[in-house]
Amino acid sequence: MVDNKTLQNKAREVISRDDVRRLIGWKRGTFGFEAAPAVIKDPSGADDLIFDATCVNNLASFITLEEKPPVPRGEEPDTRKTAIMVKGCDSRAIVLQLVEKAYERDDVIVLGIPCSGVIDRRKAREMFGDVAGAVEATCEGDKLVCEVGGEKKEVDRKELVMDKCLRCRYPNPVISDELLGDEVEKFADDDFSDVAEFAKKSPADKWAFWDEQFSKCVRCYSCRSVCPMCYCVECVVTNLRPQWTRRSTDISENTAYHLQRAWHLSGRCIECNECERVCPVDIPIMTLNRRMTRDVKELFDYEPGVDVETEPLLASFNPQDPEEFIM
Amino acid sequence: MGDFKFAREKMADVLSGLGEYQVLAPLMTGGVVRFREVEESDVPVGERGRYDNTVVPPKELMFPETETLFRYQLGGTDINVSEPEGDTGRVVIGIRPCDAQAFAIVDRVFGWDYPDPYYQKRRENTTLVGLACDEPCSNCFCPSVGGGPASEEYLDAIMYNLDDTFYLKTITKKGEELARVLSGVLQEAGDAEKKAAEKQAEEATSRIVRSIDTDGIPEKLPSLYGHPFWEQFSDRCLGCGICTYLCPTCHCFDIQDEVEHFDGRRARMWDTCMFKEYSLHASGHNPRPTRKERTRNRISHKYSYFPLNFDVIACVGCGRCINYCPVNIDILDVLEKSREAEVKEEKPA
Repeated sequence: MVDNKTLQNKAREVISRDDVRRLIGWKRGTFGFEAAPAVIKDPSGADDLIFDATCVNNLASFITLEEKPPVPRGEEPDTRKTAIMVKGCDSRAIVLQLVEKAYERDDVIVLGIPCSGVIDRRKAREMFGDVAGAVEATCEGDKLVCEVGGEKKEVDRKELVMDKCLRCRYPNPVISDELLGDEVEKFADDDFSDVAEFAKKSPADKWAFWDEQFSKCVRCYSCRSVCPMCYCVECVVTNLRPQWTRRSTDISENTAYHLQRAWHLSGRCIECNECERVCPVDIPIMTLNRRMTRDVKELFDYEPGVDVETEPLLASFNPQDPEEFIM
Repeated sequence: MGDFKFAREKMADVLSGLGEYQVLAPLMTGGVVRFREVEESDVPVGERGRYDNTVVPPKELMFPETETLFRYQLGGTDINVSEPEGDTGRVVIGIRPCDAQAFAIVDRVFGWDYPDPYYQKRRENTTLVGLACDEPCSNCFCPSVGGGPASEEYLDAIMYNLDDTFYLKTITKKGEELARVLSGVLQEAGDAEKKAAEKQAEEATSRIVRSIDTDGIPEKLPSLYGHPFWEQFSDRCLGCGICTYLCPTCHCFDIQDEVEHFDGRRARMWDTCMFKEYSLHASGHNPRPTRKERTRNRISHKYSYFPLNFDVIACVGCGRCINYCPVNIDILDVLEKSREAEVKEEKPA
C-alpha cells in the first residue's frame, strides 16, 4: 500500500501544475470507519491526503458531478484538468465514463492506487460498536490493523472488508497515468454464487422480498447521486417537466425507480458498491445490479469498464447476440 | 405528574391496554427500525435489545413522507372532492427526547402565517411517550442545542429502560390521561426507580462526546454568504437527500396532483433543498445553481435563518445527518470551521 508521504508528495506535484485545476483524493473523516473525499485546489491541501482501508468512496463520481453554471460573458471557461485518485474498482468507472464519452481522456489525470480492500462500516459497527473519533486502518497481509480509540486492533481482513473486495478481480487500477504503490495480487474470481443463491427463491418470495425492501425507500436518491455511472444532467426520476416519475413515495413508484435504475445500469454497473453503501435504509441494491451483471456476462460475454477500446454494451450489436429471451 | 412503573414482561399488557388508541412504536421492519403501528404480535425494539434511534425520524408520524390531502373524481360537470378520514387518538411510545423536541421546533412553522391543519391535527391527537436515552450515539450533541438524553420538556410522559423495569413518569395532562387508561397495569414507582432513572440520565449525559458552542453562529453565518468557506464542504456534496430527509426538523414539502383517468388526488410529499429541482424556476433560472449554494442554505437555515426568525436553532443534535452522510459532511465540523472563517470587510466604494 502506498505510504501517505509518497501520496502527498505526488499530489503536491500534480496540483502545482499549471494545467491542473483540482485534485480529488481522500482525507481522514471526522469519525468512524470511512474517510472523506477531499477536493484540493492548491498545494497546501495535499498535506491532508491519505490512503488506507477506510478510503471507501469511489471518487470517479466527482468528475461528472460538478455543476458548471454558465460562464459570464467575456470570460473563458476553465479547461484545466482534474486529477483523481482511484482504487482498482473505481478505475473501471473512469474507463466506462471514457467509453461513453462523458469527457475526454486528456481532461483527467488518473493516479491509480492498488488496493487490498476497504472496510465495510456495517461490519465494523457489528464488530466494534459505535466508536467516537476517526479510525485508521491498514492492510497487512491477511490482517487489517485498525486503530480504534488510540488502541491497535488486529482483525482478519476477510471479516471486515466489503463483500465486493472478497471477490475483487481488479485490485489494481485498469487505467492510470501513474501508479502509486506496488501492484497487489487479486483475491478471488467472481463466481456469482450470491446471485445463484438469490435466484433460487420462488418468484413470489422474490416479489415479497423486494416489496419489503422497496417499501423502506425514502427516495433520497443517494444511490443515484453517488453512482459514477449516473451522470445524466437531467435525470428521468427527478425531472419536473415532463415528469416521468411521481414524487410521492409508495411501493409502486419506489419499485419503478429501483427497477429503472437497475435496467439503466445493466452492462454499465462497474460494481463499486457505492449505491448499497450509502443507502440509509439498507436496501440491498447490489443484489439487483449483480443479477444484471451476471446476465450481461453470460449472455454477451461483456464486462463494462475494463477496456477503453470497447463499445458500450447497449450501443453495440452483434448478429451472433443471443435472442432466446425475445418472444 | 405521576410516577409509575411496570415490569419488562408487562410491555405487551401496556400496549394492549392502550386499546382505544392507535399505538406507534419503533419496530423492526425490513431490517431497519422505524415507527410503525403496533399490531398484536409486534415487539417494540426498545423492549428487547438496545437501539439508539430510528434512521428515519418519527417526524413522519406528523408529517408523512407522502400524504393525500384530498381525492377527486373528474367527469361531466361535477367534480367530487373527498378528504381522507383523520387519525383518531394516537400514542407514540419510545420516541427519543430529541425527536420530540423537533416537533416543538417544526410547530413554529406549521403554526405560523398559515396554520397547517394536517400537521396540527395529528399533533393534537398524539400523546408522546418518550424513551430516555441510555446509550447516546457517538455523534449525538443534544445538550448543545437545548436538549438532553432524558429531556422531558417536549414529552407527555417519559419512560426509562431500567434493568427489568420500565419507570414511567407523566409530564402533561395527556400523559396523566394515559396513565389513567393504564391504571390496571401500572404500579406506583418508588424512590429506587426515581434514583435509578436519575443516575441513568446523568451517565448518559456524561457519555455524550461531541458538542458545539452555538453562541454567535446565527449572526456569523450570513456574513459568510459569498465566502469560499462553503466550498470545502460542498465540493464533496453529492446532492442527495439523506441529510434533509433524515433530519427531524426539516419540513419542506412539495404539492402535486396525481391523476389517473378520472380519478385524482392532491398529495404532498417531502422535498429537499439539496435537490437542484427545489429552487429551479419555471424560466429555467436557478437561484441556487450549484451544491455550494444548496449546502450553504441547509446549514444557514438550521443555524441562522430559523433562529433569527423563530428564536430557536432548528437542530436537535440527533446526529443523523452526520451519521448517514455518504461523504462525511459533518455539521459540527462545518459550524466549528465557520467560527474560524475570516470575513473580509468590504471597503465602501
